[in-house]
Amino acid sequence: MIRIRVQPEVFNAGQEIDAITHARSDIGAVVNFIGYVRDFNERPDVVALTLEHYPGMTEQSLQEIAKSAQERWPLEAITIIHRIGRLTPGDPIVLVAVASAHRQAAFDACNFVMDYLKTQAPFWKKEHSRSGDYWVAARHSDSDAVRRWENANE
Amino acid sequence: MTKLTHIDSKGQAHMVDVSGKALTARSATACASIKMRPETLEMIMTERHAKGDVLATARIAGIQAAKRTSDLIPLCHPLMLSKVSVEFEADPELPGMRVYATCKLAGQTGVEMEALTSVSVAALTLYDMCKAVDKHMVIGEIQVLEKRGGKSGDWSLGAEESTIPVDVLPISSALEKASDQNIRVRFFAHLREQVQRDECVLNCHELPIDATVSDVIQGLVAQDACLAQAFANESLLVAVNQTMVDRNAQVHPGDEVAFFPPVTGG
Repeated sequence: MIRIRVQPEVFNAGQEIDAITHARSDIGAVVNFIGYVRDFNERPDVVALTLEHYPGMTEQSLQEIAKSAQERWPLEAITIIHRIGRLTPGDPIVLVAVASAHRQAAFDACNFVMDYLKTQAPFWKKEHSRSGDYWVAARHSDSDAVRRWENANE
Repeated sequence: MTKLTHIDSKGQAHMVDVSGKALTARSATACASIKMRPETLEMIMTERHAKGDVLATARIAGIQAAKRTSDLIPLCHPLMLSKVSVEFEADPELPGMRVYATCKLAGQTGVEMEALTSVSVAALTLYDMCKAVDKHMVIGEIQVLEKRGGKSGDWSLGAEESTIPVDVLPISSALEKASDQNIRVRFFAHLREQVQRDECVLNCHELPIDATVSDVIQGLVAQDACLAQAFANESLLVAVNQTMVDRNAQVHPGDEVAFFPPVTGG
């Protein structure tokens, strides 16, 4: 089961995991990743960030990333929640939770979903720092991470 | 709520200071209609009118009027128009003439008032030229059809969701057809700020058959310096109908093409 949500509201990781495992006895492992807003990034004193996205395409793109993960590993459930709007340091931004019968598939699939989300899903961060506002630049390390999965595929 | 820009904080009329606004390529198209008896329309079209070439005279009147707009409309800025074109379309179903005026300039303020003044005076001139043979002509449906450039971005009557029922919208059938031929172009994040607009419309007639994303980019770059500068950045990504593609991907009428910088979510 794939659950995708793009929302300004905070999420509750515990509730999301409970929703995945509720009334299920075939799930042996749930791996989840939560991304948080840091107070340092390209500049040292980030006070807030604003997340812009492309409504419609965002949901579609996350759905497709989840589907590719399902094709690659035997998964029972994937939940992806991404927040939008203004967030401050310490706020959770993204949750990816992956359930499988065994831990290895869940670990790998969670990693895979995050790597693709970082390079494919249409989100953009504008950071507000004490020395001004700027759009965050994409990292080469993120596209390298995706290439790793593509090479593994061949 | 949108404020009336010609009213200041005290509720008094004032001319807006545009000196701080960016110089951008702007254009506006307006139309007017003039209903008349079918015989009058026939007379204009066959150039059998006693006063001579009705349309040529009305066209010159429309061009002159656009240039004089700031003399007529109190809070309008005097503008250095770079182009004024006035076209006529005979509509036997009206029956009558439709007048279209397009005004262009590179400047700091919009040109819709010039386009509206142009069609109004061209329609009045048509009336003047024909009043001897038809006293029941009615001038109406004077409105802006399309506006490009400037801070508020591109706007067109057909592309907007209107609260007016569609059947009473006096858009000419030709322009309605044109809107299905358009490509909706959207901009996001840093690019959106650079080009100073969320989206714009590209007419497919401006593109080759079998157009690709690269052709769309060329069409945009040709529109104004602001777009040309933004598209010099080769790392921009593109999505057609919300799916990421490369620049060789085909684009069809009615498609949504979005451009954006590399993504930075998560």
